[in-house]
Amino acid sequence: MRTITIDPITRLEGHGKISIFLDEAGDVENAYLQIPELRGFEKFSEGRRAEDMPQITSRICGVCPVAHHIAAAKALDAAFHVDPPMAAKKLRELLYCGYIIYDHILHFYFLGGPDFVVGPEAPASKRNILGVIEKAGLDVAKDVIKHRAYGQKITAILGGKATHPVCGLPGGVSKGLVKEEATDIKNMVSSCNTFAKFTLQLFDDIVLKNKAYVDLIRSDPFILKTYNMGLVDKHNKVNFYDGMIRVSDQEANEVEKFESKDYTTHIAERVEEWSYMKFPYLKSIGWQGLQDGKKSGIYRVGPLGRLNAAEGMATPQAEKEYTRMFDILEGKPVNSTLAFHWARLIELLYATERAKELIEDSDITSTHIRNPVGTPGAGIGVVEAARGTLIHDYKLDKNGLVEKANLIVATTNNAGAITMSVRDAAKGVIQKGNVNDELLNKVEMAFRAYDPCFGCATHTLPGGMPLTVNIYDHNKNLSKTIIRS
Amino acid sequence: MKTLVLGVGNPILQDDGVGIHVINTLREHLKDTRVIVDIAYTGGMNLLDMIRGFDKVILVDAIKQENSKTGEVKRFPLDEAPAVHSSNPHDVSLSEALHLAKQLGEKNLPKEIVVIGIIVKNTLDFGEHLSTEVASAVPNAVTMVLAELKNT
Repeated sequence: MRTITIDPITRLEGHGKISIFLDEAGDVENAYLQIPELRGFEKFSEGRRAEDMPQITSRICGVCPVAHHIAAAKALDAAFHVDPPMAAKKLRELLYCGYIIYDHILHFYFLGGPDFVVGPEAPASKRNILGVIEKAGLDVAKDVIKHRAYGQKITAILGGKATHPVCGLPGGVSKGLVKEEATDIKNMVSSCNTFAKFTLQLFDDIVLKNKAYVDLIRSDPFILKTYNMGLVDKHNKVNFYDGMIRVSDQEANEVEKFESKDYTTHIAERVEEWSYMKFPYLKSIGWQGLQDGKKSGIYRVGPLGRLNAAEGMATPQAEKEYTRMFDILEGKPVNSTLAFHWARLIELLYATERAKELIEDSDITSTHIRNPVGTPGAGIGVVEAARGTLIHDYKLDKNGLVEKANLIVATTNNAGAITMSVRDAAKGVIQKGNVNDELLNKVEMAFRAYDPCFGCATHTLPGGMPLTVNIYDHNKNLSKTIIRS
Repeated sequence: MKTLVLGVGNPILQDDGVGIHVINTLREHLKDTRVIVDIAYTGGMNLLDMIRGFDKVILVDAIKQENSKTGEVKRFPLDEAPAVHSSNPHDVSLSEALHLAKQLGEKNLPKEIVVIGIIVKNTLDFGEHLSTEVASAVPNAVTMVLAELKNT
């Protein structure tokens, strides 16, 4: 058996390693994603003051600190038996919209989008933001930088600090909004809304009007028929901050809908010996190994998972785009992994509309932003991180110290699906041992669509992040190495 | 001349946070109030936002490099950086962000960016303490930052 190892994955993660196992004939037998995961969080949290958890967990990730911060604050609301005032919930959600705005812009233009905007056949050195600028022009690039910064600024104003918010407390937030800040945010949000619409138009022009890309989106190796999961509001519309967890099946029928606090009744985690990752699956369906279809409990989260799991978007412009996506890709759910990119842009539009609603709400400048806490107990907080459903689960002792902490991060929820997508993409492009740089691009595309975040707090990466492919013969001797810098 | 000393890292991932530890010690030794000292738990585009408007930036960061001794401290210009925090998995690297900013015609970028890098070991286990080798490198790194400031 020959082994192909893709390591590391460009622009994504220095530690991720994809190993592709070929059979005697040189076809893909299997593919695995191996990543070293951060260790010891549970032990690290033990004995810490509960109110420190929003700060501590926001350090786990340099990219989505807001998601961890808010999930932690919500878990603490539950653990201290307190319901925050309406204004506090709206401030948290507005903060959250700022985060979705900058994160989704960053992913589309800097990380995942270049595969499409510059093209999957383009050399790796061109598939980055600089390649995007070359294609879309300097003015677009300036707008990208400006609006990403707006998202950051909104979170800084509401969070009390740039990048790592400090506002979330059990029972509410520590910082309200004054009128001048509200006006500032309103202007930024309005500009972001225009930019989100522009971005969807750009996606239309560059991707959807190119038959080759649409064919690629629809092509077999990128299709995965799993269950889909996401938070929904009471009308079953996508919600990032709060709601019930809804799961839909391969025909878009609701199969489960439950409160966050009941997640352990519905989700189990499978341990596979070849990976540090746990693989969550739906208990009611069961674990059938790494396969899709109705009988396998594997589900997807993240932009496409959310849009599939919900019945629509809660704001008018995003709702229109939502309907359009399912019309064009012919039905619901959409099972193409590459449609994650499109779904992400629809969510970007939603975040700008929702932010507009919130900033125009008369509650938003209220000074009643925190309620007194009750006695400490156990609590679970769930939000939709940019990458998917994020669960924080704490048990506190009677002094309010952490006794036990468990997190399920978005990428863990997607672990099974990502592994299968990598395998299927590899099967589609590697035949009879024929492996080249362009073929491996597609394996990376499958992977990158999920915007996965492994051990995301570790940033000590090799600067250039070259792609190395090792090919072994059936005796596991290295027969060929392809290095892409 | 406006100078920034920026410690980069994650304070809850052991050696990963060495840049933050160096800054904490540096604050005790630094007399020059004109030098701005700050810390960042982030990378790429966010770092770019933090360094705009300075003439010179000294980045203090954890490095992983093969064939190097844990605890070794190295100085090099950012362009020659082997592995620093400024390459965040979900962001562009600081070098890429700078390249982008230059291409967009930004004028207020630092003229010089120097990295003081400490070779680290464990960055995968949660914890607030540095490994012994890396902890003993902190005074060295502080001395090197002070020397760098003297030459500025």
